[in-house]
Amino acid sequence: MATVLEVQGLSKKYPKKENLAADGVSFTVNEGEIFALIGPNGAGKTTTIRMISTLIQPTSGDALVAGRSVVKEPDKVRENITYLPDEAGAYKTMTGINYLEFMASLFAKDKDTLDKFVERGKAICGLGDRLSDKIGGYSRGMIRKLLLARAVMTEPKLAIMDEATSGLDVINALEIRKMIKNLAREQHMAFLLSSHNMLEIEYVSDRVGIMTGGKLMVVGAIDELKERYEAANLEEVFERVVKDNEVR
Amino acid sequence: MKFGNLLKKELRELLTKQAIISMVFTMVLLIVMGQVIGGAMQDADNSAEDAANNIALCNQDDSEFTKNMLENMENTNVALVELESDDYAAELERLDRKSLIIIPQGFGDSIVNQRKVGEVKFVNTLKGGGFSSTMSTATAAEAVSSIEKACSDELMRNDYGVTDAEIELAKNPVSTTEYTVHKGRTAAASSAGISAVLMLQSMIAPFAIFFLLLMAAQMIMTAISTEKIDKTLETLLSAPVPRMTVLMAKMTAAVITALLNALFMMIGFVFYMLGMAGSAAGEMADAVTGGPMVSEAAGAVTSTAQAMAELGLALSPADYILFAIQLFLTLAIGLAISLILGAMATDVKSVQTLTMPIMIAVMIPFFVSMFMDVNDMSPVFRTIIYAIPFTHTYTALTNLMNGDMIIFWGGLAYQIVFFAVCMFLAVKMFTTDKLFTMSFSAESMNKKRKGKNTAAQE
Repeated sequence: MATVLEVQGLSKKYPKKENLAADGVSFTVNEGEIFALIGPNGAGKTTTIRMISTLIQPTSGDALVAGRSVVKEPDKVRENITYLPDEAGAYKTMTGINYLEFMASLFAKDKDTLDKFVERGKAICGLGDRLSDKIGGYSRGMIRKLLLARAVMTEPKLAIMDEATSGLDVINALEIRKMIKNLAREQHMAFLLSSHNMLEIEYVSDRVGIMTGGKLMVVGAIDELKERYEAANLEEVFERVVKDNEVR
Repeated sequence: MKFGNLLKKELRELLTKQAIISMVFTMVLLIVMGQVIGGAMQDADNSAEDAANNIALCNQDDSEFTKNMLENMENTNVALVELESDDYAAELERLDRKSLIIIPQGFGDSIVNQRKVGEVKFVNTLKGGGFSSTMSTATAAEAVSSIEKACSDELMRNDYGVTDAEIELAKNPVSTTEYTVHKGRTAAASSAGISAVLMLQSMIAPFAIFFLLLMAAQMIMTAISTEKIDKTLETLLSAPVPRMTVLMAKMTAAVITALLNALFMMIGFVFYMLGMAGSAAGEMADAVTGGPMVSEAAGAVTSTAQAMAELGLALSPADYILFAIQLFLTLAIGLAISLILGAMATDVKSVQTLTMPIMIAVMIPFFVSMFMDVNDMSPVFRTIIYAIPFTHTYTALTNLMNGDMIIFWGGLAYQIVFFAVCMFLAVKMFTTDKLFTMSFSAESMNKKRKGKNTAAQE
């Protein structure tokens, strides 16, 4: 499988902060792979994700998306990614279908592609007739489904999702996890996720990277990590990695 | 295509049903207020007229002096009546009048023979509060004043043998023909009339600029901060759209919405002025458009307009184009500043706090230009006021009318530089990660302040 994302020593220092928010982070994500960044609050997951999404610029290092540099060619990177921020909203005055059309228009180069994107978005979100309603009247779960559909309808090489299922009920969260897995397996779409939910990550991810204090401490497949840390599940792996780091 | 879609999206966000209803409501409110106030003033006029027809005069004095005085009295609307009793309330009801003036027996004798003031009784019906009742009382008092004047005239005729023409001359010995001089030009017109038109004109332009700026600033601040708080901005800026396109779409939508808002507001304001004072608004409309006067009070008004043209105070179409350019620049500066401030907001509270600097910068020149001439201020204050870029637009019409072109062009150049700096900062913010790394939180400000206070107490 080809490498879709290659992160090379990404670092970020925010003004007036002493420590680096991200400190030399390096990892790769392949085509059709679901890679998850996990870590406690303030570990640097969102900063790393935002740098890869071209929203903030790295202080040093680089990340290549489909061979394009986030530092030198951010416009080209944006053509290959979609980003779903944590707790993101949508334009409340638009209907669901208007929103999909609007977002598709930013990616599509012609009318046929636009229609294809919208049809795909409609099918993925599963909101049916409710797509004609204003987003202002949607539940949190409905908005998240719409946003997820938006993020994958354009068939990006890399879909970046920060806390993809945060705030959702069990049923909605399950649906979204299944959706992500199917898209990776069937469409060979690469996913970069971040989450606090270890159960979700264990279920959905192929590989994980554990971050703490801005550093990426461990990267590996879930079974491999469980074996390495003699842990029963990902939560235990996470706990040991974080504690080891604190001891050091 | 992308710009069009973004613009459509921005307009949809700004021109919500609530926003349109609020625009129409403001316009209708102003129109209704104009009609109500205008109606009240008309009522007051009518009451003054009614009051003049509601005065009864009873002459109980049979002296020659009083008889002659009443014949020469100016107020002819007063009806001469006879009283049947001393019960004034009953008499007013019987006579169906609101006011009664009684000249008692011996009035003439007191003035002519005893050389003492003559006493007149003045009875008024209390109508209640309000402007119209005050007007009717004032009109009745005028009738009493006419009696006083007629008595003075009669005394001059009787005692000094003065003719009517001599009395008239003694009363009005001076006649005035007014001229107004402005910047070396002279016109045969009252400077008070011209000043009134200039005042109306200097009121309407700042009023429009003030609301236009405030609305545009608030709109774009709310729009950008909401996008940032909802994280829709992150989604938008990670899409393959040039950042400048996003920025321009936001600013264009805010300009369109602000102009639409101003249009509704101005329609309402013009109707408000027309309703309140027809001729004044007509004069104002003429001063603004430079067109001929079509008001009913043609004589006086036309001469004011002609005089303004003769004095070089009328604005040419080129002046209006220059004013429009400056208005646009002011709007663009306001929007660029608001965009920067709005992008720094992290919550709703901080949006409100961040609106303050722009509100102050818009309000100071508004009030200053309403109540004084900036060019007449001391150099220090003038520099401070002119350092606020919006001031130049508030004073633009006056500067153009007065031909103060150095100040005008200087202001325009300053605004262009100011706008370039603001746009540079806005573009820098949008094209770098400043948009996401710079933030202002009202809560963190409060915490800092509390921390300082606690430290000071310790």
